[in-house]
Amino acid sequence: MKIALLNGSPKVQNSASGALLEDLKRYITEKADVVNYSLHRPVISETVLEELQKADAWVFAFPLYVDGIPGHLLSCLRQLEKVALQNPNRHIYGIVNLGFYEGIQAEYALQILRNWCVKTGYVWSGGIGVGGGGSLAMMPSAEQGKGPKAPVDKALAVLSDKILKLETCENAYVSVAFPRFLYKMAAQMGWRQCIKQNGGKKKDLGRKL
Amino acid sequence: MKLIITDLEEFNIPVEGEYKLIKPQGDIRHCIGCFGCWIKTPGECVIQDGYEKTGADMGKCTEMILISECCYGSVSPFVKTLQDRSISYIHPDFIMRKGEMHHKRRYTNVITVTAHFYGENITEEEKQTARNIMEANADNYDGCVKEVHFYKSAKELEGIIL
Ligand SMILES: Cc1cc2nc3c(=O)[nH]c(=O)nc-3n(C[C@H](O)[C@H](O)[C@H](O)COP(=O)(O)O)c2cc1C
Repeated sequence: MKIALLNGSPKVQNSASGALLEDLKRYITEKADVVNYSLHRPVISETVLEELQKADAWVFAFPLYVDGIPGHLLSCLRQLEKVALQNPNRHIYGIVNLGFYEGIQAEYALQILRNWCVKTGYVWSGGIGVGGGGSLAMMPSAEQGKGPKAPVDKALAVLSDKILKLETCENAYVSVAFPRFLYKMAAQMGWRQCIKQNGGKKKDLGRKL
Repeated sequence: MKLIITDLEEFNIPVEGEYKLIKPQGDIRHCIGCFGCWIKTPGECVIQDGYEKTGADMGKCTEMILISECCYGSVSPFVKTLQDRSISYIHPDFIMRKGEMHHKRRYTNVITVTAHFYGENITEEEKQTARNIMEANADNYDGCVKEVHFYKSAKELEGIIL
């Protein structure tokens, strides 16, 4: 069986989507033929399109942008809709990570992917929404079910099992195991550091134009 | 001021009152997730391609009107890219609203969101997703949804007044 992992973050490096796919890969790599692809840009190359046609399952991982799918990735989905359908039984899974804490805020982005499956004829097979995504790329993988990524890892383990069997599952929503108020504080401190590193002042964070 | 954002290159819809129209005029570059609009050039996108000031335009409007092809329940890639490129309308700091995490306001204006979606075969599920997303957008903008409409073609829109 061939599984394609599609990274839909526009970031070329250090994306939370990439980190999630790497964590997922640990569960499936020995049991299937797994290939990574990048959808960092609005257009997918002919070569990648051809390669993708060979996979039995596509796992999309992407960030939540303005409550939905990033604009460039929507372009890719349209392109994929147009080339469709050498394998109408292809299973589609989605892993959406988001900056806010509550994984459930990814619900509508997963709905978009499900609606896209209806248009392409592919089999919508479920996904996960991961809250607290801002911290994922920096965190080490969860080991033996411990650490702030543990709930995420558990959801990925369940999803990997479904993918390997090409089964369908309900969407699951999780958050990093890190108190919400601390996550909020850490983010706010982070923005203050970032703006200073860029030569600005703390108050510029609220600059009005 | 009404801020009208559309993917229609030929825009022939009458508008009442003062408005600003943003439509495709040259290629748009996609958001690269750098957050430069919060920490490098706060208030506008760092990519200077003519579409970088939408966040600031949102800060000056009372009504945001999206006119877009419906793409699987989402706005189209062009309109979505503009939305992605204009998150500087809000402030990076988090705040709790309706029991969920959102962002603080940067500006004081309250936006009412109206959306006009067009497309040949918009399914009921897509309509529901579109309505859900508009509500979620309004929560994130700390504004409210006024109306969400669906049309079978862009041509039908020429019969309305914005
Ligand atoms: C343009 C833009 C829009 C975003 N919109 C949301 C949003 O609506 N809700 C949310 O929780 N996070 C939002 N985020 C935060 C991202 O989802 C978050 O940073 C994510 O971890 C990025 O994942 P990646 O590293 O895989 O690209 C947004 C980020 C950007 C750049």
